[in-house]
Amino acid sequence: MQKKLIGIFVLVLFLVIVILVVMDYSSTRPDRRGGNPYEFSADIFTAVDPALVTYREIRQIITNAEQPKAIGCQDDRIYLLADRRLQVLDLTGRQIHEKSFPDEPRCIAVPSTDTLVIGFENYICLTDGSGNVLFTSPQETDSSIFTSVATNGNTIYVADAGKQRVLMYSRDGLKKGEFEGESGSASLHGFIVPSPYFDLDVNHLNELWVVNPGMLALQSYDDRGSLMNHWEKASVEIDGFSGCCNPAHFAFLDDGAFVTSEKGLVRIKVYDPSGEFVAVVAPPDKFTEEGEAPDLAVGESGKIIALDYDKRLIRIFEPR
Amino acid sequence: MDKDKAQSRRNFIDKGMRITLGLSLAGVGSVALSRVSAKKWVWQIDPFLCTQCGRCADYCVLKPSAVKCVHAYDLCGYCDLCGGYLRPEHTERDTGAENQLCPTAAIERRYIEEPYYEYVINRDLCIGCAKCVAGCTAFGNGSLHLQIQHDLCMNCNECSIARVCPSNAISRVESDAAYIIKGGFTREESGG
Repeated sequence: MQKKLIGIFVLVLFLVIVILVVMDYSSTRPDRRGGNPYEFSADIFTAVDPALVTYREIRQIITNAEQPKAIGCQDDRIYLLADRRLQVLDLTGRQIHEKSFPDEPRCIAVPSTDTLVIGFENYICLTDGSGNVLFTSPQETDSSIFTSVATNGNTIYVADAGKQRVLMYSRDGLKKGEFEGESGSASLHGFIVPSPYFDLDVNHLNELWVVNPGMLALQSYDDRGSLMNHWEKASVEIDGFSGCCNPAHFAFLDDGAFVTSEKGLVRIKVYDPSGEFVAVVAPPDKFTEEGEAPDLAVGESGKIIALDYDKRLIRIFEPR
Repeated sequence: MDKDKAQSRRNFIDKGMRITLGLSLAGVGSVALSRVSAKKWVWQIDPFLCTQCGRCADYCVLKPSAVKCVHAYDLCGYCDLCGGYLRPEHTERDTGAENQLCPTAAIERRYIEEPYYEYVINRDLCIGCAKCVAGCTAFGNGSLHLQIQHDLCMNCNECSIARVCPSNAISRVESDAAYIIKGGFTREESGG
């Protein structure tokens, strides 16, 4: 009798141990865990009021590129830089022309369909509309990283994220000057470029605007490097820029309104020429979470053309 | 004749003893040498695989965890609006507790000059929850990341965090390269 009781006790004990081990194992399985008590959530900022989204996506073009780099647009032709080559596409995605380069191009300006300015890591090329090189500038320092180019008449502006400065070239490749942004007060500071996102563009009034990404600001400069105008919007709300370096890219609509794209909370928005928030082009749920900020170009009739690096797509938006 | 036999047996035992002793010494020496020169392996987090799930804070056998946040200063933008320091819904960009993202206030915000701030991790307060890492990754450069601190880590045979890590970010690395620090280091350079 006693032996039987001991046997039952041992059996029950064994079963209890087995159950405890199984419970412990299954409770700590990664897929069985409850919610993360330390979860960082920015969900309330990824949700966007649909009434603010006044653009619709009308087309996606698959790039078939390994590493898309930059995009430009002129007369409904899309100029895509990717995988050491220039592709000229129409708005349906049909390739019109292709040109290869020995180095990786990083940025492009398309002042006309006859002239392109292509920026490489530390030098620029002026080419004809097919990408045939007309001149190449001397190479800048090794620490230079050219991230944006724009033109204004005979002047070519280059954003150098590595040296946190704007360079100016003439159309025959001669360097005309450079400036590092204006500083001197709490609200003014030279360019702060924590990561290689440093964009510039010229608007319809021939004003040069440069992103000061560390200040979450856009600033207008004359050719002497004097600050002419600026605005900033530091906020994680929909009407502002957040993170360490935004807006990562911008372009101008025909009326001088700013189209901006941001990293972190990836989204595309429109601000009026004075810097007031106007509308959302594409909310964060259109993009890969924590993806790269899309490069931007503006086409005919206010079409906004975005280069989605994560999905390797050219995405075209137009006003509703 | 008997005397010679006895003599040669004694010589044989004598030689055998010497050889055995020599071999034993050589064996002990080689074992000791192999122990000294053998590579030691320790657990470490690959910051490029980490998904900031929060398990490092909860599953380490040590309380608080041997996993701590480290800061790659050469990556940091020294931003005023720091996504790793400030809660997304902060009301002011200051050191107010209600504005801080870290649940234990383990990040110290130090003014450098307008508009730069330095963010220093207080290791004694850090519990390795990765909340700041998630904020920095989402809004900043990802300069904040987690690492197992080897002066704290028990180097368990089976790391209890590695067992539950959803992204298999924890693995054994050689002790002479015990930390995987971001900064000049990139995934390409690591050969990964």
